[in-house]
Amino acid sequence: MPRFNFWTGVMVLTWLLLISLLFVPVGSVLLSSLYDQAGNFTFANYQKFFAETRFHQAFFNTLVVGFGGLVGALVLGSVMAFCVSRFEIRGGKFVSLLAILALVSPPFIGAYSWIVLFGAGGVVRGGLREMGVNMPPIYGLGGILIVFALKFYPYVYLMVSGALSNVNRSLEEAAEGLGLTPWQRTFKISFPMVFPALSAGGLLALIHAIADFGTPRLLGRGYNVLATEAFTLYSAEVGSNMSMATTISVLLIVVSMIFVLLQRYVSRRNVYHGNMINKPVRVRLKGWKNVAAHFAVYFIGLCGAMPVIVAIIYSFRKTNGPVFQPGFALQSYERILFNLGDVVRNSLTFSVGAVVLIVLVGTLIGVLVARRTNLNTALLDGAFMIPYVMPGIVIGIAYIAAFNTGPVVLTGTAAIIVLSIFIRRLPYMVRTTASSLRQISPSMEEAAISLGYSPFKAFLRITVPLIVPGIIAGGMLSFVTAINELSSSLVLYVGRTMTMPVRIYLLILDGDFGTAAALSTVLLVLSGVAVYIAFRFMGRNEQALL
Amino acid sequence: MSYLTVTNAIKQFGGSFTALSGVSITVERGEFFTLLGPSGCGKTTLLRSIAGFNDLTSGEITLDGANLRLVPPHKRDIGMVFQDYAVFPHLSVFDNVAFGLKPRKVPAAEIKTRVTEALAAVRLGALADRLPAAMSGGQQQRIGLARAMVINPHLLLMDEPLSNLDAKLRVELREEIRDIQKQVDIATIYVTHDQEEALAISDRICVMSAGQIEQIGTPQQIYGNPQTRFVAEFVGTLNSLTDNDALKAVLGQLRLSAPGASWAVRPERLGLGEADAGSSDGVVAVPGIVGKYTYLGREAHVLVKTAIGELVVHLSNPGIEATRQPDEKVSVLIERSAPMAFDAAGKRLPAAG
Ligand SMILES: Nc1ncnc2c1ncn2[C@@H]1O[C@H](COP(=O)(O)OP(=O)(O)OP(=O)(O)O)[C@@H](O)[C@H]1O
Ligand SMILES: [Mg+2]
Repeated sequence: MPRFNFWTGVMVLTWLLLISLLFVPVGSVLLSSLYDQAGNFTFANYQKFFAETRFHQAFFNTLVVGFGGLVGALVLGSVMAFCVSRFEIRGGKFVSLLAILALVSPPFIGAYSWIVLFGAGGVVRGGLREMGVNMPPIYGLGGILIVFALKFYPYVYLMVSGALSNVNRSLEEAAEGLGLTPWQRTFKISFPMVFPALSAGGLLALIHAIADFGTPRLLGRGYNVLATEAFTLYSAEVGSNMSMATTISVLLIVVSMIFVLLQRYVSRRNVYHGNMINKPVRVRLKGWKNVAAHFAVYFIGLCGAMPVIVAIIYSFRKTNGPVFQPGFALQSYERILFNLGDVVRNSLTFSVGAVVLIVLVGTLIGVLVARRTNLNTALLDGAFMIPYVMPGIVIGIAYIAAFNTGPVVLTGTAAIIVLSIFIRRLPYMVRTTASSLRQISPSMEEAAISLGYSPFKAFLRITVPLIVPGIIAGGMLSFVTAINELSSSLVLYVGRTMTMPVRIYLLILDGDFGTAAALSTVLLVLSGVAVYIAFRFMGRNEQALL
Repeated sequence: MSYLTVTNAIKQFGGSFTALSGVSITVERGEFFTLLGPSGCGKTTLLRSIAGFNDLTSGEITLDGANLRLVPPHKRDIGMVFQDYAVFPHLSVFDNVAFGLKPRKVPAAEIKTRVTEALAAVRLGALADRLPAAMSGGQQQRIGLARAMVINPHLLLMDEPLSNLDAKLRVELREEIRDIQKQVDIATIYVTHDQEEALAISDRICVMSAGQIEQIGTPQQIYGNPQTRFVAEFVGTLNSLTDNDALKAVLGQLRLSAPGASWAVRPERLGLGEADAGSSDGVVAVPGIVGKYTYLGREAHVLVKTAIGELVVHLSNPGIEATRQPDEKVSVLIERSAPMAFDAAGKRLPAAG
């Protein structure tokens, strides 16, 4: 049958794709960490890593910021999720919007906005000093942790609020009937039910915190983590140490992988299926409790969205060169229009290109994984876990290592950036497609076949229309991450292929916050449009953003 | 040669689990053939093999003389009603039903009339323009039914098409299905695990258990003359008779014997008499006391403890005077034709004496 051949073809192509875009680059990272500068096989890089305090320290620091970010995100995220899903909060939708804003905000801008407010010359800090309150600047570990907590809490919030509003009320009522106190109920019934969501959200926060490069770079002031060390080693003008950079990359992958497996292990038994009928009701709180709940929710939401708000305000401020003047003007946007048009264009074309590829390839592979279950597709599904845990900086370094020399030289091209985005976001599309397909009973296609449609036509006429909304939504969300991608592009860009996030990073390093803010606002508007379209197609489903 | 033949069908899943172990059936033109059996016995598997959605591990299927296993499923022209409805959620009820007419190049005007008729037959005419998403299970099932019947296929397969309907609609629709089927004269294989439905609607019934055929026959043959203990128990109910001297005496009086057999009798073949009722020619009265009397409207079930076991007796049209009190002395009347003998493997034995 032709169908058989077609899907076998897809299968072969998928493996080829994975081999050429993932296994070979990552493999060469792995290998080049085992060679010294002169090209001799050695474990010296690893020995050096474990011998030098600088790397020790970075490793330790990575774990500290990872777990610190995790704890902060867990606390903020679950407090907010609990309040929003269990109590009547005025403007609950607005709060969710704030969380989404924090989630899609361009990288870097977060850290920098906090510097603008609380840095050495920070606005708020200055204001407080005039009132006689002296607070330390936000730099260092404390600052990183605050920013991480506020940046990554939406992962926990969106996951947990979804789970909490699906917990069957009868279960809690039953527990109440059994005489459990409210606290016991929360810990014995509700907590185990939301634990999978909580740990999944926490994992996302942890992995992003470990991989985050921009925040420690800007706020750390000497507090180095693996991601920044890898970048420093890679980008050092003199004596760029590629093999040490790749060694660190390998360790970053290993650490992320361990946490993914750990999360799978601890939540393996807790799979509860929500029930759509007997949903919990929101309680209307009274008195100080009500005030406290509202305060908590709005405080977290506004703090999380603060960088975005600051960036938007500063993008409209009058500037003289990089220096802000009193009053408002559109100068920053004019500068984008006249000087940075190509950067915006690059970002748009790269992201659109990557998303088109992602949608086409991801849909096909998703169908393959969901519909033709066998050992091969199970392996495929597993292989797609790898890009999921791959920090962007590692993909960047891996691509440089793989495509710098050899049969295919791609360094300095647009293709390498598009491909790096493509491979990182492909797993999400595959998963989106596969999971929406799994919800469609295969007998639907069979029904069409029994009515006289060939298998291919049945797929086209029945399955495709049913999954298209999910695909469009998935594509839009891929677009959001694609256009905001910084860390891999930062390693891969050359002057011609500079993207908006890279430019923002450079602008901030140059101290031109006005233009950076305006560029961030443009990014934010683009992301917002994509999120809006996605929500239009799949209903408001914030969890799909994760 | 029969219209549809399935010969020695074997279907294994994953190499080890055998869902069909050597099933052979034949279906005649225009025949209403029912597969009856408990959950998991392989009914759907057999149906899907005929439709072409899973290929047999071995065996042969022919339709009208042609080897069906060589024909791809979409060219078989076999209508199927799916157990899980498989209604297309993005198409209106009308478009769902019209879906199969399009590849058959039916003119638009004819599509309209045929679909309207089909929807009327399943009582969905008023909902033609609605989307099926928010419809009840029963309504979706009827869409599936109309969709499969409207294409006038060579063969119609129905996998429990009425399982989600309320009792009243179920009876109405099964008559409707039966009428339409006779009218358009399509050979039909119908799957159910409701024995009453099977008896009411079928020309012939095939009783299956654990991937094997127990018996194929007309409703009368299946019910009145079950060939295995499984069939007798699955279609109707059965009283097992305790193997003891009292039973030997009863069988002797009835001039019945089958060496090594275990005996059973259907509750509705038993009669209830007064305690002093005597045996006559061909009828034995077994004395006992009433354990329980259950009134069900159309009939009543009386549990009687006797020397040959606890026997349930079904009385039809029980009036108020038929009511029995617990511990009342009665006797159970057994006709010569009532007891059935089965061997150790559950096969029916001739009970001549
Ligand atoms: N694709 C499959 N893979 C493995 N086992 C299967 C598969 N399909 C069916 N089976 C098994 O084959 C057996 C028969 O299944 P089938 O669906 O034919 O039962 P059924 O008679 O239709 O039952 P029901 O009345 O519950 O619908 C079951 O034990 C089932 O678990
Ligand atoms: Mg079935």
